[in-house]
Amino acid sequence: MNYDFSEEAEKLFEAIRSIAATAPAEEDLAGATVDTISAALREMLKTLAGAGYLQDGLAGDASESAVNQMAAMETLAGQARSLFLAVEMSTRVLGRALARWGTGATQEQWREGLLQGQWIGALALSEEAMNVQNDPLATVGSRKDGRVVVSGGKHYVINAPLADKIGVVGLLDDRPAIFMLDAGTEGLSISEPVPTMGYDGIRMADVTLDACVLPEENVLLPPEGTPVLDLLRQWENEVLMAAALGMMQAAFAEARDFAKSHRSGGKPVIAYQEVGFKLSEMLTLYQTAQLLAYRAVWTLKDQPKEGAALIWCAKVFATEAAERVAGDALRILAGQGYRAGSASESAYRAAKWTQIGGISTEIARVRIGDQALGYAPGR
Amino acid sequence: MDFSFSREQVMFKKEVIRFAKKEIVPRVQEHDLNGEFDFQSFRKMGDFGILGLHFPEELGGGGADVVTTVLAGEALGEAGVDGGLTLAYGAHSFLCADTIFRHGTDAQRQHYIPKLASGEWIGCMGLSEPDAGSDVASMSTTATRQGDTYVLNGTKMWITNGPIADVAVVYAKTDPDQQHAGISAFIIDKGTPGFSAGPPLLKMGVRTSKTSELVLNNCVIPAENLLGNEGEGFLMAMQTVEWDRSALLAPFVGSTTYLVKKCADYAKGRVQFGKPIGHYQAIKRKLADMRIFGEAARALVYRIAWCKDQGRPLNHLEAAVAKLFIGDWSLPVTNDAVTLHGGYGYTHEFDVERIFRDTRLAPIGGGTSEVQKMIISRLM
Ligand SMILES: Cc1cc2nc3c(=O)[nH]c(=O)nc-3n(C[C@H](O)[C@H](O)[C@H](O)COP(=O)(O)OP(=O)(O)OC[C@H]3O[C@@H](n4cnc5c(N)ncnc54)[C@H](O)[C@@H]3O)c2cc1C
Ligand SMILES: Cc1cc2nc3c(=O)[nH]c(=O)nc-3n(C[C@H](O)[C@H](O)[C@H](O)COP(=O)(O)OP(=O)(O)OC[C@H]3O[C@@H](n4cnc5c(N)ncnc54)[C@H](O)[C@@H]3O)c2cc1C
Repeated sequence: MNYDFSEEAEKLFEAIRSIAATAPAEEDLAGATVDTISAALREMLKTLAGAGYLQDGLAGDASESAVNQMAAMETLAGQARSLFLAVEMSTRVLGRALARWGTGATQEQWREGLLQGQWIGALALSEEAMNVQNDPLATVGSRKDGRVVVSGGKHYVINAPLADKIGVVGLLDDRPAIFMLDAGTEGLSISEPVPTMGYDGIRMADVTLDACVLPEENVLLPPEGTPVLDLLRQWENEVLMAAALGMMQAAFAEARDFAKSHRSGGKPVIAYQEVGFKLSEMLTLYQTAQLLAYRAVWTLKDQPKEGAALIWCAKVFATEAAERVAGDALRILAGQGYRAGSASESAYRAAKWTQIGGISTEIARVRIGDQALGYAPGR
Repeated sequence: MDFSFSREQVMFKKEVIRFAKKEIVPRVQEHDLNGEFDFQSFRKMGDFGILGLHFPEELGGGGADVVTTVLAGEALGEAGVDGGLTLAYGAHSFLCADTIFRHGTDAQRQHYIPKLASGEWIGCMGLSEPDAGSDVASMSTTATRQGDTYVLNGTKMWITNGPIADVAVVYAKTDPDQQHAGISAFIIDKGTPGFSAGPPLLKMGVRTSKTSELVLNNCVIPAENLLGNEGEGFLMAMQTVEWDRSALLAPFVGSTTYLVKKCADYAKGRVQFGKPIGHYQAIKRKLADMRIFGEAARALVYRIAWCKDQGRPLNHLEAAVAKLFIGDWSLPVTNDAVTLHGGYGYTHEFDVERIFRDTRLAPIGGGTSEVQKMIISRLM
């Protein structure tokens, strides 16, 4: 047992902090063009690759490194909310799929491009029934003359308007596959960016594939029996857990600093129990969520089943805690917090998404319950 | 970071669960209903090595580290041991015996620890008073030095094991003009003239632990019964907080694992509207929330234990976070367990009702949730 981070890990966090400090502010990204966001994201990807951040913890490394990675992700998420999510969808989700299941030169090239931060990637998974819990995937590829033709429609794909490479999840030979498409592929169309309640600096869009043709080596086919959709959701969950931790860290710090310096009735407002006690609850939720998230990713390495259940637990707890912490921060910050641009206000809006994305908190609870009951998932 | 336990620790936890299920749990409900302390189980815990687990072997202990000691507490909860017995164990082993072990003289250690470790003697700790609970520094019990003796006067309140204890660690003011700095700690033996316990209080939960007043009426004790030096009592009491936030909280964590299993078994067997209620998502949600709470609480408790094993001074903020979380968040979970059992859950036939009552102490005992928030907001 050891509850300390190694010196090496602390160095990584410090490096991430300095990189994140150079990121454009969330409110500056809100109204920015796709090109501006794309440039900021590319810059961030390149510097993060240099710091070793993008490659870590992807290929089933040691448990300790998974915890370090989670803490590094939290650090980035706390300071650069939207760019963090964009980076992670490109690398920790799509890049990780390639690192895990990639074979052959093309897939190697994709993996290197994404994990070295040269390309922006997007993962298109969600369809009409976006949680992919209840209905089979409708995006299907078929083989034709050594090539694959794929059609389908995907919703709400982060990075789609800026991506160089899009991994589209569908079925080939009745098995889950990821169709690797270049942005300019014929038949691939990307909608206008979809406006969202939070995450002002991401750009996401719907993606349509109308008989897109790709070489067979551009199909990522995980080994038969791999729970591909569950794993993709799990990786997304890890990202959203880190996002939630980052939000709590930022909202808590903003509210605490304010409460210590802002005076009312002749004393700093933290001296009032209504404020000080709220901050105590916020910090308790944050620290508890943090330890749970660390333990969840740590457990995954040697006990995948137990680890997966802990990820559901941590996802639910951290993302619900994030909304509460951000909401309480807003009450403490009062008028100052309600202004657009405060860390807590943007965290409050973004927190909602962390509960919906990956496996929704509803479905996660059902799965945790099923496991306790010894029922097959989704009964 | 590394969240693993050693193989020995894992095996030991399993052994404790096995022991507790066989030797203690079968009588838990009966003792709870009758409000009786289970002397037999307590002695068995001593024989098994739990009561003195962390004391050195030469004093009759098991020489275990703190993490292992906390694991034993979790195991008791996981086996289904009630909160009354685990509270009695905590007050005995940590609040009383450990204070003597840490601050007593060699002679006091030799005299008390082996008998406390075996369970031959039962210990208690008296800090709270009728008018000084959260604000413990305002206590009014006094200890006045007279030659080679101290004379103690005052009343202690809510003392776990009070009516059955052979030995008590009691806090009193040697300098009533001071707050914290005026408090000192003393060992008082059962039978000392002027020292008595009130009748057991009737309680909502933790009913198998005996709780009472301790009355000190011109109670004369030898001066060597002072632990450490005058004025060090408050610091000593604070040192027990490490145990309070790890070993005493661990049974709540274990008890959640027990609850999940109990509730899942019930939900699989109970049929309504033609199917087991476990098929309904609303029931799964309750099970999920129980598990989430237990998993979230676990690392908080072991973080404190691990830091103590490293010899680090207690991080009061982390300790208060653990206490606040487990205190406040354990209640909805045990409440859900009762609801999940429907009308049966409201009866003594099912132990979820007792667990609900026992857990109600979590945000009160050892410092209320409000006190934890005061600590956190001061330290943040
Ligand atoms: C900001 C944002 C970014 C996104 N980024 C991406 C991306 O990059 N790539 C991508 O592929 N997708 C992305 N998505 C889609 C996202 O993954 C889905 O929105 C999410 O999975 C939820 O699916 P849904 O919206 O269809 O809700 P539904 O699945 O229709 O769910 C509706 C409600 O019903 C509940 N529910 C559904 N089924 C069950 C069940 N079996 N039991 C209990 N409750 C149930 C849900 O929890 C929810 O409360 C993004 C969405 C947003 C908002
Ligand atoms: C079953 C049981 C076993 C116990 N065992 C022991 C034992 O072995 N030894 C021992 O010494 N003590 C023991 N106690 C006492 C326990 O530690 C106290 O009950 C606890 O510290 C609270 O003190 P109190 O009951 O006097 O409540 P009070 O301090 O009177 O508090 C009443 C309420 O006011 C709140 N409050 C108080 N001050 C503030 C403030 N400044 N701001 C906001 N809210 C405030 C409290 O949080 C609480 O909600 C035990 C208690 C119980 C119930």
